[in-house]
Amino acid sequence: MVVRVVRSLRSGTPVARSGLAALLPVAGTAVVLAVLPPIWFGRSTYTTGLAIITLVFASYAVGFNVIFGSTSQLFLCVGALAGIGGYATALFSDSASLPVFVGVLLGTLIAAIVGGVLSWIAVRRSLGVIFTGILTLVFSLAFQNLLLGQRQLTGGSTGHELKAAATTLADDRVGGYYLFAALVVIFLIVFRLIQTSHVGWAFRALRDDETAAELTGIDVSRYRVYAAVVGSAMIGLTGGLYAYSDGFINPTTFAFNQIDVLVLVMVVFGGLGSLLGPLLGAGVFEAVDQLLSSSGQIREFLYGLMIVALFLGFRRGLVPALGRLARRPVVPASPLQPRTDDGPAVPSAT
Amino acid sequence: MKAVLLDGIVLGLGFGLLGVGLTLVYGLGGVLNLAYGELAVLGAMVVSLVKDAGAPLALAAVAGVAAAMAAAVLLDLTVMRPVYRQSGEHRVLLGLLVTLGVAFLIEGLLNWRDPLGALTVDIGGGPIGIFGVPMPMSSIWASAITLGAGAILVVFLGATTFGRAIRSVMQDEVGARLVGISPSFTRTVIFALSGALAGLVAVTSAMSSPLTVTQGFDLTSFALIVTVVGGLGSVTGAFLAGLLLGIVDTLSAYYVGQYITSVVLLGAAGLTILIRPRGLLGR
Repeated sequence: MVVRVVRSLRSGTPVARSGLAALLPVAGTAVVLAVLPPIWFGRSTYTTGLAIITLVFASYAVGFNVIFGSTSQLFLCVGALAGIGGYATALFSDSASLPVFVGVLLGTLIAAIVGGVLSWIAVRRSLGVIFTGILTLVFSLAFQNLLLGQRQLTGGSTGHELKAAATTLADDRVGGYYLFAALVVIFLIVFRLIQTSHVGWAFRALRDDETAAELTGIDVSRYRVYAAVVGSAMIGLTGGLYAYSDGFINPTTFAFNQIDVLVLVMVVFGGLGSLLGPLLGAGVFEAVDQLLSSSGQIREFLYGLMIVALFLGFRRGLVPALGRLARRPVVPASPLQPRTDDGPAVPSAT
Repeated sequence: MKAVLLDGIVLGLGFGLLGVGLTLVYGLGGVLNLAYGELAVLGAMVVSLVKDAGAPLALAAVAGVAAAMAAAVLLDLTVMRPVYRQSGEHRVLLGLLVTLGVAFLIEGLLNWRDPLGALTVDIGGGPIGIFGVPMPMSSIWASAITLGAGAILVVFLGATTFGRAIRSVMQDEVGARLVGISPSFTRTVIFALSGALAGLVAVTSAMSSPLTVTQGFDLTSFALIVTVVGGLGSVTGAFLAGLLLGIVDTLSAYYVGQYITSVVLLGAAGLTILIRPRGLLGR
């Protein structure tokens, strides 16, 4: 079994590269994200808005990837964690009149704690994938109902208008774009640093074979909770910043079928556990979404079809598939290059 | 108080039947069918179509149940086959994700054809006094149908040879195969049964309040709560949990309020997972 762990560590994605070289794909992504507005869509507020949505989802997806992709904990409460960040930002800055950044920080902190507690429960009760999924789904639905029910606090289904919202970011979409581009890049750096550290080794070991990892002395429970805390903090921070930049939130903004389903599809399509998978997945998904938007009512049906086809036929994800292509001797490219070139594929709306 | 309790029992029976349909499929190979509620909605829409075409209510109801059943069988024969080829946690996860996609597919289809569709089943006749409480005719019909279906189900699973075959597959797939039972055929039957139950619940719940196209996800989550509390895979557990949760639901809705009631029900499911993950009567 020990042999198996060692082998699984070696055969994993090529992340054991040390130092700055490991951050090369992230740097490439940052450059691509930075030059996209001036060379492509900076003039159109509509397309920039789409790009922002893509980046917001990419941020959620990276957080979810830390939790689910790295340690196989099916957290079906991405929307709820983001909602904690969003509503905490709104309530602390408006009702408690604290500075916005304090609200965002508190929201991030609360989301991290909640995620950590959920994970701790799941680990302590040794719930499998399905029970962790049910527990977090139940939490999502309960949170949603709390938001709807606590009308005097949250505004119920009519939503909450943030007085402290960033009017400049809302008007000048490019500002918002760079805010979330920076966020995605920071998240990717964090993800990469985790991957290359001893924590990343532990993650890969416990994902491949939990019992074997435990036997080699890896404290599986502790690393699961770590992943949940880090990922939930990312999701909460994104939710808070989204509330701040958009200026309006309601329970639907963070609903299960608005966030969780999409994030799940994005991450699985991009490639579970891969660095750039979530970003690619978010880009491709938004592009397809735009193509489908003209199809009107039938869109949801096509979504469903896409999800089923995706999970049945393309489970390994885009990035691993590209990686395999790149490693073929016929194509003598470095495994790094084809990934960064692809960037977020945001379509032009016009 | 007595009236609230009786209402709770009526609701609880419906919950129980809803839960049974989900728990059967889960018990038989670990797939949590997230498209379950959509099957019920699909059945309801067929009932309303046939009814509007001028057919008698009973015929429409049978058509609806048959439609939900057919959809479930189709599901089993197409997308579930690759899922059941997996084993262990892979199967569980893939089943969850694929049925989630199917849920979207059905909901999208229904939303596209008839976004405002709703089913109301109008049972005539005035209220009848039970324990001194006037109960509407619709509740009595719904409860009678539910109890009848529950009894048939218990007899089918408990006393027939095929029912025993089903339970043997639930206990041990490999062992069942060794004694000559085909797990895949059994699964198809169970899917059909589960679809029929979904269609039946759609009809009985439409007797008291209209069932709309958008309620599929709510139905799935109710079924999920019942299943979790009763114990995944346990039929009697699901009925017991349904009754319990139905009474809690009406009491809480009567004394506290609607949103909090949902939180209470979800909290019950959460607590069950924390304290007794296998549920009331789970194995």
